[in-house]
Amino acid sequence: MTEIIVVTSGKGGVGKTTTAASLAAGLARRGKRVAVIDFDIGLRNLDLIMGCERRVVYDFVNVIQGDCTLRQALIKDKRLDNLFVLAASQTRDKEALSVEGVRRVLDELTADGFDYIICDSPAGIEKGAYLAMYFADRAIVVVNPEVSSVRDSDRILGLLASKTLRAEQGNGGVQEHLLLTRYSPRRVAAGEMLSVADVREILGLEVLGVVPESADVLSASNAGSPVILNAESIASHAYEDAVGRLLGEELPLRFVDEPKKGFFARMFGS
Amino acid sequence: MSRPAEATHEPALEIRFGQVGLAQLRLRTTDPAACVDELTGRIASAPPGFFERTAVCVDLTMLEREPEIAEMRTVLDAVRRAGMLVVGLTSGTDAIAGLARALALPILPAFRVPKKPPAPTQVPTGQPAAAAGTSAAALVHQQPVRSGQRVYARQHDLVVTATVGAGAEVMADGCVHVYGALRGRAMAGARGETAARIFCLTFHAELVSIAGVFRVFETIPGELAGQPVQAWLDGDALNVARLGG
Repeated sequence: MTEIIVVTSGKGGVGKTTTAASLAAGLARRGKRVAVIDFDIGLRNLDLIMGCERRVVYDFVNVIQGDCTLRQALIKDKRLDNLFVLAASQTRDKEALSVEGVRRVLDELTADGFDYIICDSPAGIEKGAYLAMYFADRAIVVVNPEVSSVRDSDRILGLLASKTLRAEQGNGGVQEHLLLTRYSPRRVAAGEMLSVADVREILGLEVLGVVPESADVLSASNAGSPVILNAESIASHAYEDAVGRLLGEELPLRFVDEPKKGFFARMFGS
Repeated sequence: MSRPAEATHEPALEIRFGQVGLAQLRLRTTDPAACVDELTGRIASAPPGFFERTAVCVDLTMLEREPEIAEMRTVLDAVRRAGMLVVGLTSGTDAIAGLARALALPILPAFRVPKKPPAPTQVPTGQPAAAAGTSAAALVHQQPVRSGQRVYARQHDLVVTATVGAGAEVMADGCVHVYGALRGRAMAGARGETAARIFCLTFHAELVSIAGVFRVFETIPGELAGQPVQAWLDGDALNVARLGG
Protein backbone atom coordinates (compact mmCIF):
# COMPACT_ATOMS: atom_id res chain seq x y z
CA MET A 1 0.00 0.00 0.00
CA THR A 2 1.58 3.26 -1.16
CA GLU A 3 1.07 6.40 0.87
CA ILE A 4 1.40 9.78 -0.81
CA ILE A 5 2.58 12.52 1.56
CA VAL A 6 2.75 16.19 0.56
CA VAL A 7 5.10 18.53 2.40
CA THR A 8 3.64 22.01 2.01
CA SER A 9 3.36 25.39 3.78
CA GLY A 10 2.12 28.25 1.62
CA LYS A 11 4.98 30.43 2.74
CA GLY A 12 8.47 30.08 1.29
CA GLY A 13 11.67 29.52 3.21
CA VAL A 14 10.11 27.72 6.17
CA GLY A 15 11.91 24.42 5.56
CA LYS A 16 9.71 22.38 3.24
CA THR A 17 12.53 20.91 1.18
CA THR A 18 14.70 20.27 4.26
CA THR A 19 11.74 18.48 5.83
CA ALA A 20 10.88 16.47 2.69
CA ALA A 21 14.51 15.35 2.35
CA SER A 22 14.88 14.39 6.02
CA LEU A 23 11.55 12.56 6.26
CA ALA A 24 12.30 10.66 3.04
CA ALA A 25 15.77 9.69 4.28
CA GLY A 26 14.39 8.78 7.72
CA LEU A 27 11.69 6.52 6.26
CA ALA A 28 14.18 4.92 3.87
CA ARG A 29 16.59 4.27 6.74
CA ARG A 30 13.81 2.32 8.46
CA GLY A 31 13.60 0.02 5.45
CA LYS A 32 10.74 1.72 3.58
CA ARG A 33 10.97 2.15 -0.18
CA VAL A 34 10.67 5.90 -0.73
CA ALA A 35 10.47 8.24 -3.71
CA VAL A 36 10.74 11.98 -3.14
CA ILE A 37 9.51 14.30 -5.90
CA ASP A 38 10.38 17.99 -6.36
CA PHE A 39 7.26 19.87 -7.56
CA ASP A 40 9.03 23.23 -7.62
CA ILE A 41 9.44 23.38 -11.40
CA GLY A 42 11.84 26.14 -12.39
CA LEU A 43 13.34 26.52 -8.90
CA ARG A 44 14.68 23.07 -8.32
CA ASN A 45 16.33 22.65 -4.91
CA LEU A 46 15.62 19.16 -3.63
CA ASP A 47 18.47 17.66 -5.68
CA LEU A 48 20.88 20.05 -3.95
CA ILE A 49 19.67 19.16 -0.45
CA MET A 50 19.85 15.46 -1.37
CA GLY A 51 23.31 15.92 -2.89
CA CYS A 52 22.47 14.49 -6.31
CA GLU A 53 22.44 17.69 -8.39
CA ARG A 54 25.21 16.53 -10.69
CA ARG A 55 23.44 13.28 -11.47
CA VAL A 56 20.21 14.79 -12.83
CA VAL A 57 19.84 13.76 -16.47
CA TYR A 58 16.09 13.51 -16.85
CA ASP A 59 13.52 15.23 -14.64
CA PHE A 60 9.84 15.19 -13.64
CA VAL A 61 8.74 17.21 -16.69
CA ASN A 62 10.65 14.87 -19.06
CA VAL A 63 8.74 11.92 -17.60
CA ILE A 64 5.38 13.70 -17.92
CA GLN A 65 6.10 14.66 -21.53
CA GLY A 66 7.27 11.15 -22.39
CA ASP A 67 10.89 12.09 -23.21
CA CYS A 68 12.11 9.27 -20.97
CA THR A 69 10.82 6.49 -18.74
CA LEU A 70 10.22 7.00 -15.03
CA ARG A 71 12.99 4.50 -14.29
CA GLN A 72 15.49 6.61 -16.23
CA ALA A 73 14.56 9.76 -14.31
CA LEU A 74 14.58 8.29 -10.78
CA ILE A 75 17.94 9.01 -9.13
CA LYS A 76 19.01 6.40 -6.61
CA ASP A 77 20.45 7.83 -3.41
CA LYS A 78 24.10 6.96 -2.78
CA ARG A 79 23.66 6.49 0.97
CA LEU A 80 20.35 4.65 1.16
CA ASP A 81 19.50 1.88 -1.32
CA ASN A 82 15.72 2.25 -1.18
CA LEU A 83 15.56 6.04 -1.56
CA PHE A 84 14.93 7.65 -4.96
CA VAL A 85 14.77 11.27 -6.05
CA LEU A 86 12.73 12.67 -8.96
CA ALA A 87 14.15 16.12 -9.65
CA ALA A 88 12.23 19.15 -10.90
CA SER A 89 13.04 20.74 -14.21
CA GLN A 90 15.04 23.93 -13.90
CA THR A 91 14.40 25.15 -17.45
CA ARG A 92 10.61 24.83 -17.62
CA ASP A 93 7.86 26.58 -15.73
CA LYS A 94 5.08 25.14 -13.64
CA GLU A 95 2.67 25.14 -16.60
CA ALA A 96 4.55 22.05 -17.83
CA LEU A 97 2.82 20.01 -15.10
CA SER A 98 -0.67 18.62 -15.64
CA VAL A 99 -3.11 16.74 -13.43
CA GLU A 100 -3.09 13.79 -15.84
CA GLY A 101 0.72 13.76 -16.08
CA VAL A 102 1.15 13.83 -12.29
CA ARG A 103 -1.47 11.13 -11.88
CA ARG A 104 0.39 8.90 -14.37
CA VAL A 105 3.73 9.28 -12.56
CA LEU A 106 2.18 8.63 -9.13
CA ASP A 107 0.29 5.58 -10.48
CA GLU A 108 3.49 4.20 -11.95
CA LEU A 109 5.37 4.67 -8.65
CA THR A 110 2.50 2.97 -6.83
CA ALA A 111 2.56 0.03 -9.26
CA ASP A 112 6.31 -0.18 -8.74
CA GLY A 113 5.72 -0.98 -5.06
CA PHE A 114 6.97 2.17 -3.34
CA ASP A 115 5.86 2.45 0.30
CA TYR A 116 5.97 6.24 0.43
CA ILE A 117 5.89 8.99 -2.17
CA ILE A 118 6.92 12.35 -0.68
CA CYS A 119 5.82 15.37 -2.72
CA ASP A 120 7.91 18.48 -2.00
CA SER A 121 5.55 21.38 -2.74
CA PRO A 122 6.62 24.79 -4.03
CA ALA A 123 5.69 27.86 -2.00
CA GLY A 124 2.52 29.71 -2.90
CA ILE A 125 -0.94 28.44 -3.72
CA GLU A 126 -0.66 28.22 -7.49
CA LYS A 127 -0.57 25.32 -9.87
CA GLY A 128 2.61 23.64 -8.59
CA ALA A 129 1.41 23.65 -4.98
CA TYR A 130 -2.07 22.55 -6.05
CA LEU A 131 -0.74 19.59 -8.04
CA ALA A 132 1.66 18.59 -5.24
CA MET A 133 -1.26 18.29 -2.80
CA TYR A 134 -3.99 17.06 -5.15
CA PHE A 135 -3.34 13.31 -4.86
CA ALA A 136 -2.06 13.29 -1.25
CA ASP A 137 -3.24 10.89 1.43
CA ARG A 138 -1.48 12.86 4.13
CA ALA A 139 -0.17 16.40 4.39
CA ILE A 140 2.64 17.72 6.51
CA VAL A 141 2.24 21.47 6.87
CA VAL A 142 5.59 23.03 7.75
CA VAL A 143 5.17 26.13 9.88
CA ASN A 144 7.56 28.55 11.56
CA PRO A 145 6.48 29.94 14.93
CA GLU A 146 5.58 33.40 13.62
CA VAL A 147 2.25 34.94 12.65
CA SER A 148 2.62 35.20 8.86
CA SER A 149 3.69 31.58 8.54
CA VAL A 150 0.79 30.49 10.74
CA ARG A 151 -1.65 32.52 8.63
CA ASP A 152 -0.36 30.98 5.39
CA SER A 153 -0.55 27.51 6.90
CA ASP A 154 -4.17 28.13 7.81
CA ARG A 155 -4.82 29.04 4.17
CA ILE A 156 -3.08 25.87 2.95
CA LEU A 157 -5.09 23.75 5.41
CA GLY A 158 -8.24 25.25 3.90
CA LEU A 159 -7.11 24.26 0.42
CA LEU A 160 -6.21 20.75 1.62
CA ALA A 161 -9.75 20.43 2.94
CA SER A 162 -11.31 21.45 -0.39
CA LYS A 163 -8.95 21.22 -3.37
CA THR A 164 -7.68 17.64 -3.09
CA LEU A 165 -8.88 14.42 -4.67
CA ARG A 166 -9.70 12.96 -1.24
CA ALA A 167 -11.75 16.04 -0.34
CA GLU A 168 -13.61 15.87 -3.66
CA GLN A 169 -14.37 12.18 -3.20
CA GLY A 170 -15.47 12.89 0.35
CA ASN A 171 -13.72 9.83 1.84
CA GLY A 172 -12.37 11.40 4.99
CA GLY A 173 -10.15 13.99 3.33
CA VAL A 174 -6.42 14.34 3.67
CA GLN A 175 -4.89 13.53 7.06
CA GLU A 176 -3.24 16.75 8.23
CA HIS A 177 -0.16 17.19 10.43
CA LEU A 178 1.77 20.22 11.61
CA LEU A 179 5.53 20.31 11.76
CA LEU A 180 7.15 23.29 13.47
CA THR A 181 10.61 24.23 12.29
CA ARG A 182 13.12 26.86 13.40
CA TYR A 183 11.77 26.63 16.93
CA SER A 184 13.77 28.48 19.54
CA PRO A 185 12.70 27.70 23.15
CA ARG A 186 14.79 30.63 24.38
CA ARG A 187 12.91 33.11 22.17
CA VAL A 188 9.58 31.56 23.06
CA ALA A 189 10.41 32.01 26.75
CA ALA A 190 11.31 35.64 26.01
CA GLY A 191 7.93 36.13 24.35
CA GLU A 192 9.49 36.80 20.94
CA MET A 193 8.11 33.73 19.24
CA LEU A 194 4.82 31.81 19.23
CA SER A 195 4.91 28.67 21.37
CA VAL A 196 3.93 25.15 20.26
CA ALA A 197 0.74 25.58 22.28
CA ASP A 198 -0.08 28.87 20.50
CA VAL A 199 0.35 27.38 17.04
CA ARG A 200 -1.57 24.24 18.00
CA GLU A 201 -4.42 26.37 19.34
CA ILE A 202 -4.62 28.75 16.37
CA LEU A 203 -4.54 26.00 13.75
CA GLY A 204 -6.47 23.43 15.77
CA LEU A 205 -4.15 20.56 14.85
CA GLU A 206 -1.70 18.30 16.67
CA VAL A 207 2.00 18.61 15.89
CA LEU A 208 3.94 15.80 14.25
CA GLY A 209 7.21 17.25 15.40
CA VAL A 210 9.09 20.33 16.54
CA VAL A 211 12.48 20.92 14.92
CA PRO A 212 14.65 23.34 16.88
CA GLU A 213 16.52 26.16 15.19
CA SER A 214 19.97 24.74 14.47
CA ALA A 215 23.02 25.77 12.49
CA ASP A 216 23.37 22.12 11.43
CA VAL A 217 20.42 22.52 9.04
CA LEU A 218 22.25 25.06 6.89
CA SER A 219 25.52 23.13 6.92
CA ALA A 220 23.67 19.92 5.99
CA SER A 221 22.02 21.72 3.04
CA ASN A 222 25.36 23.04 1.86
CA ALA A 223 26.89 19.58 2.17
CA GLY A 224 24.03 18.01 0.20
CA SER A 225 23.07 15.59 2.96
CA PRO A 226 19.64 15.53 4.67
CA VAL A 227 20.13 16.81 8.23
CA ILE A 228 18.49 13.68 9.67
CA LEU A 229 21.64 11.74 8.69
CA ASN A 230 23.83 13.91 10.96
CA ALA A 231 23.46 11.87 14.15
CA GLU A 232 25.06 14.57 16.29
CA SER A 233 22.50 17.26 15.50
CA ILE A 234 19.42 17.87 17.65
CA ALA A 235 17.54 18.70 14.40
CA SER A 236 18.28 15.13 13.33
CA HIS A 237 16.77 13.73 16.54
CA ALA A 238 13.69 15.90 16.12
CA TYR A 239 13.17 14.68 12.53
CA GLU A 240 13.76 11.10 13.64
CA ASP A 241 10.97 11.53 16.22
CA ALA A 242 8.69 12.94 13.50
CA VAL A 243 9.37 9.90 11.31
CA GLY A 244 8.53 7.66 14.28
CA ARG A 245 5.23 9.50 14.86
CA LEU A 246 4.43 9.29 11.15
CA LEU A 247 4.74 5.50 11.52
CA GLY A 248 2.39 5.53 14.50
CA GLU A 249 4.81 5.63 17.44
CA GLU A 250 3.85 7.67 20.49
CA LEU A 251 6.81 9.84 21.44
CA PRO A 252 7.04 12.81 23.79
CA LEU A 253 7.96 16.17 22.23
CA ARG A 254 11.63 17.06 22.73
CA PHE A 255 13.54 20.32 22.38
CA VAL A 256 10.52 22.49 23.21
CA ASP A 257 11.78 23.73 26.58
CA GLU A 258 14.78 25.86 27.28
CA PRO A 259 17.61 23.62 28.51
CA LYS A 260 18.05 23.97 32.26
CA LYS A 261 21.42 25.15 33.43
CA GLY A 262 23.35 23.59 36.27
CA PHE A 263 22.47 21.70 39.41
CA PHE A 264 20.57 24.44 41.24
CA ALA A 265 18.39 25.17 38.28
CA ARG A 266 17.44 21.50 38.17
CA MET A 267 16.77 21.31 41.91
CA PHE A 268 14.96 24.57 42.44
CA GLY A 269 14.04 25.74 38.97
CA SER A 270 10.39 26.01 37.99
CA MET B 1 -22.63 53.49 13.67
CA SER B 2 -22.12 53.44 9.95
CA ARG B 3 -18.40 54.11 9.92
CA PRO B 4 -15.61 51.81 10.98
CA ALA B 5 -15.01 52.75 14.58
CA GLU B 6 -11.22 52.59 14.43
CA ALA B 7 -10.68 54.29 11.06
CA THR B 8 -8.83 57.57 11.17
CA HIS B 9 -9.98 58.85 7.77
CA GLU B 10 -13.46 59.36 6.44
CA PRO B 11 -13.92 56.65 3.77
CA ALA B 12 -14.56 57.83 0.20
CA LEU B 13 -17.67 55.70 -0.06
CA GLU B 14 -19.76 53.21 1.84
CA ILE B 15 -21.40 50.05 0.73
CA ARG B 16 -24.46 49.32 2.80
CA PHE B 17 -26.97 46.59 2.45
CA GLY B 18 -30.44 47.50 3.44
CA GLN B 19 -34.00 47.62 2.25
CA VAL B 20 -35.36 50.56 0.35
CA GLY B 21 -38.97 51.23 -0.48
CA LEU B 22 -39.63 50.33 -4.08
CA ALA B 23 -42.92 50.19 -5.96
CA GLN B 24 -43.55 46.96 -7.76
CA LEU B 25 -45.45 46.94 -11.01
CA ARG B 26 -47.03 43.54 -11.42
CA LEU B 27 -48.02 43.05 -15.05
CA ARG B 28 -51.03 40.91 -15.85
CA THR B 29 -50.85 41.58 -19.56
CA THR B 30 -48.20 42.70 -22.01
CA ASP B 31 -50.70 44.64 -24.15
CA PRO B 32 -49.13 48.14 -24.17
CA ALA B 33 -52.45 49.92 -24.79
CA ALA B 34 -54.12 48.23 -21.82
CA CYS B 35 -51.11 49.05 -19.62
CA VAL B 36 -51.07 52.71 -20.62
CA ASP B 37 -54.84 53.01 -20.03
CA GLU B 38 -54.58 51.47 -16.60
CA LEU B 39 -51.52 53.52 -15.61
CA THR B 40 -53.03 56.83 -16.76
CA GLY B 41 -56.15 56.02 -14.76
CA ARG B 42 -54.10 55.29 -11.61
CA ILE B 43 -51.92 58.35 -12.02
CA ALA B 44 -54.96 60.59 -12.52
CA SER B 45 -56.53 59.37 -9.28
CA ALA B 46 -53.28 59.80 -7.28
CA PRO B 47 -52.14 63.15 -5.81
CA PRO B 48 -50.44 65.33 -8.46
CA GLY B 49 -46.81 64.32 -9.05
CA PHE B 50 -47.16 61.21 -6.88
CA PHE B 51 -45.92 58.83 -9.55
CA GLU B 52 -43.60 61.37 -11.20
CA ARG B 53 -40.19 59.68 -11.63
CA THR B 54 -41.16 56.86 -9.32
CA ALA B 55 -38.70 53.96 -9.37
CA VAL B 56 -40.51 50.73 -10.12
CA CYS B 57 -39.50 47.13 -10.26
CA VAL B 58 -41.44 45.19 -12.85
CA ASP B 59 -42.84 41.85 -11.74
CA LEU B 60 -43.51 39.40 -14.58
CA THR B 61 -44.36 36.39 -12.46
CA MET B 62 -48.14 36.82 -12.84
CA LEU B 63 -48.04 36.63 -16.63
CA GLU B 64 -49.25 33.44 -18.24
CA ARG B 65 -46.08 33.10 -20.29
CA GLU B 66 -42.72 34.85 -20.44
CA PRO B 67 -42.97 37.76 -22.90
CA GLU B 68 -40.76 38.17 -25.95
CA ILE B 69 -38.03 40.76 -25.82
CA ALA B 70 -39.70 43.06 -28.41
CA GLU B 71 -42.99 42.82 -26.49
CA MET B 72 -41.19 43.76 -23.27
CA ARG B 73 -39.54 46.79 -24.87
CA THR B 74 -42.95 48.14 -25.97
CA VAL B 75 -44.47 47.63 -22.51
CA LEU B 76 -41.52 49.23 -20.73
CA ASP B 77 -41.69 52.20 -23.12
CA ALA B 78 -45.36 52.60 -22.19
CA VAL B 79 -44.49 52.51 -18.49
CA ARG B 80 -41.77 55.11 -18.98
CA ARG B 81 -44.13 57.35 -20.97
CA ALA B 82 -46.47 57.23 -17.98
CA GLY B 83 -43.67 58.91 -15.97
CA MET B 84 -42.22 55.96 -14.05
CA LEU B 85 -38.58 54.84 -14.04
CA VAL B 86 -38.05 51.12 -14.47
CA VAL B 87 -35.06 50.08 -12.34
CA GLY B 88 -35.20 46.32 -12.56
CA LEU B 89 -37.14 43.11 -12.89
CA THR B 90 -38.33 41.02 -9.96
CA SER B 91 -36.54 37.67 -9.85
CA GLY B 92 -38.43 34.66 -11.11
CA THR B 93 -37.70 32.13 -13.80
CA ASP B 94 -34.52 31.74 -15.84
CA ALA B 95 -36.34 33.25 -18.82
CA ILE B 96 -36.90 36.42 -16.79
CA ALA B 97 -33.20 36.48 -15.95
CA GLY B 98 -32.47 36.22 -19.69
CA LEU B 99 -34.87 39.07 -20.44
CA ALA B 100 -33.23 41.22 -17.76
CA ARG B 101 -29.84 40.65 -19.34
CA ALA B 102 -31.16 41.55 -22.80
CA LEU B 103 -32.79 44.71 -21.43
CA ALA B 104 -29.68 45.65 -19.40
CA LEU B 105 -31.79 45.73 -16.23
CA PRO B 106 -30.79 44.19 -12.88
CA ILE B 107 -32.75 41.38 -11.27
CA LEU B 108 -34.01 42.40 -7.85
CA PRO B 109 -34.69 39.58 -5.41
CA ALA B 110 -38.12 39.57 -3.78
CA PHE B 111 -37.94 39.73 0.00
CA ARG B 112 -41.35 38.20 0.42
CA VAL B 113 -43.06 35.62 -1.71
CA PRO B 114 -46.43 37.09 -2.77
CA LYS B 115 -49.08 35.68 -0.52
CA LYS B 116 -52.72 35.06 -1.19
CA PRO B 117 -55.05 37.14 1.01
CA PRO B 118 -55.80 35.28 4.25
CA ALA B 119 -59.10 33.44 4.63
CA PRO B 120 -61.67 35.52 6.57
CA THR B 121 -61.65 33.23 9.61
CA GLN B 122 -58.37 31.66 10.61
CA VAL B 123 -58.12 28.78 13.02
CA PRO B 124 -55.00 29.26 15.19
CA THR B 125 -52.57 26.41 14.70
CA GLY B 126 -50.30 24.91 17.33
CA GLN B 127 -47.19 25.33 15.22
CA PRO B 128 -44.59 27.91 16.29
CA ALA B 129 -44.06 30.69 13.81
CA ALA B 130 -40.89 30.38 11.76
CA ALA B 131 -38.59 33.37 11.71
CA ALA B 132 -39.42 35.62 8.78
CA GLY B 133 -37.43 34.82 5.66
CA THR B 134 -35.40 31.96 7.15
CA SER B 135 -36.22 28.30 7.10
CA ALA B 136 -36.11 26.16 10.19
CA ALA B 137 -32.72 24.44 10.29
CA ALA B 138 -29.44 26.35 10.42
CA LEU B 139 -26.48 25.56 8.18
CA VAL B 140 -24.03 23.64 10.37
CA HIS B 141 -20.35 23.74 9.48
CA GLN B 142 -18.21 21.34 11.53
CA GLN B 143 -14.74 21.88 10.03
CA PRO B 144 -12.51 24.82 10.90
CA VAL B 145 -13.07 27.73 8.53
CA ARG B 146 -9.52 28.44 7.34
CA SER B 147 -7.95 31.66 6.16
CA GLY B 148 -9.27 32.50 2.69
CA GLN B 149 -12.39 30.36 3.00
CA ARG B 150 -15.94 31.73 3.04
CA VAL B 151 -19.02 30.08 4.39
CA TYR B 152 -22.40 31.64 3.62
CA ALA B 153 -25.75 30.46 4.95
CA ARG B 154 -28.31 31.84 2.50
CA GLN B 155 -31.66 32.45 4.20
CA HIS B 156 -30.46 30.51 7.24
CA ASP B 157 -28.60 30.90 10.49
CA LEU B 158 -25.01 29.66 10.40
CA VAL B 159 -23.55 27.45 13.12
CA VAL B 160 -19.79 26.79 13.07
CA THR B 161 -18.64 24.21 15.61
CA ALA B 162 -14.92 24.89 15.09
CA THR B 163 -12.67 27.91 14.83
CA VAL B 164 -12.90 30.65 12.20
CA GLY B 165 -9.32 31.56 11.25
CA ALA B 166 -7.89 35.02 10.65
CA GLY B 167 -8.72 36.03 7.07
CA ALA B 168 -11.74 33.69 6.89
CA GLU B 169 -15.33 34.91 6.43
CA VAL B 170 -18.53 33.54 7.87
CA MET B 171 -21.80 35.04 6.65
CA ALA B 172 -25.47 34.36 7.12
CA ASP B 173 -28.78 35.97 6.22
CA GLY B 174 -29.77 35.10 9.80
CA CYS B 175 -27.59 34.83 12.91
CA VAL B 176 -23.98 33.60 13.06
CA HIS B 177 -22.95 31.27 15.90
CA VAL B 178 -19.32 30.24 16.33
CA TYR B 179 -18.67 27.56 18.97
CA GLY B 180 -14.94 28.16 18.92
CA ALA B 181 -12.59 31.06 18.36
CA LEU B 182 -13.66 33.77 15.91
CA ARG B 183 -10.48 35.31 14.46
CA GLY B 184 -11.78 36.27 11.02
CA ARG B 185 -14.83 38.21 9.86
CA ALA B 186 -18.42 37.51 10.78
CA MET B 187 -21.43 39.00 9.00
CA ALA B 188 -24.98 38.42 10.13
CA GLY B 189 -28.13 39.72 8.46
CA ALA B 190 -26.34 39.77 5.11
CA ARG B 191 -29.58 40.76 3.36
CA GLY B 192 -30.54 43.47 5.77
CA GLU B 193 -32.09 41.53 8.66
CA THR B 194 -31.44 43.97 11.51
CA ALA B 195 -32.52 41.53 14.24
CA ALA B 196 -29.72 39.12 13.36
CA ARG B 197 -26.96 38.60 15.92
CA ILE B 198 -23.44 37.19 16.11
CA PHE B 199 -22.32 34.89 18.90
CA CYS B 200 -18.93 33.33 19.53
CA LEU B 201 -17.14 31.51 22.34
CA THR B 202 -13.71 33.14 22.00
CA PHE B 203 -13.66 36.59 20.51
CA HIS B 204 -10.67 37.70 18.40
CA ALA B 205 -12.62 38.94 15.37
CA GLU B 206 -11.17 41.24 12.71
CA LEU B 207 -14.59 42.57 11.78
CA VAL B 208 -18.20 42.03 12.74
CA SER B 209 -21.12 43.27 10.70
CA ILE B 210 -24.88 43.13 11.10
CA ALA B 211 -27.19 44.22 8.27
CA GLY B 212 -24.37 46.23 6.73
CA VAL B 213 -23.36 48.09 9.90
CA PHE B 214 -19.84 47.01 10.68
CA ARG B 215 -17.07 47.49 13.15
CA VAL B 216 -13.39 46.80 12.51
CA PHE B 217 -11.27 45.63 15.44
CA GLU B 218 -7.77 46.89 14.89
CA THR B 219 -7.19 46.21 18.55
CA ILE B 220 -9.67 44.24 20.60
CA PRO B 221 -10.81 45.88 23.83
CA GLY B 222 -9.36 44.03 26.85
CA GLU B 223 -12.78 43.15 28.26
CA LEU B 224 -13.76 41.37 25.00
CA ALA B 225 -10.54 39.65 23.88
CA GLY B 226 -10.80 35.89 24.22
CA GLN B 227 -14.24 36.16 25.84
CA PRO B 228 -17.60 34.70 24.87
CA VAL B 229 -19.24 37.59 23.05
CA GLN B 230 -22.41 38.56 21.26
CA ALA B 231 -23.02 41.40 18.83
CA TRP B 232 -26.36 42.98 18.01
CA LEU B 233 -27.81 46.03 16.36
CA ASP B 234 -29.58 48.74 18.30
CA GLY B 235 -30.88 51.24 15.77
CA ASP B 236 -27.78 52.27 13.88
CA ALA B 237 -25.39 51.29 16.69
CA LEU B 238 -23.56 47.99 16.60
CA ASN B 239 -23.11 46.67 20.14
CA VAL B 240 -20.54 44.09 21.11
CA ALA B 241 -20.56 42.75 24.65
CA ARG B 242 -19.54 39.82 26.78
CA LEU B 243 -22.07 37.02 26.97
CA GLY B 244 -23.42 36.04 30.36
CA GLY B 245 -22.57 39.27 32.16
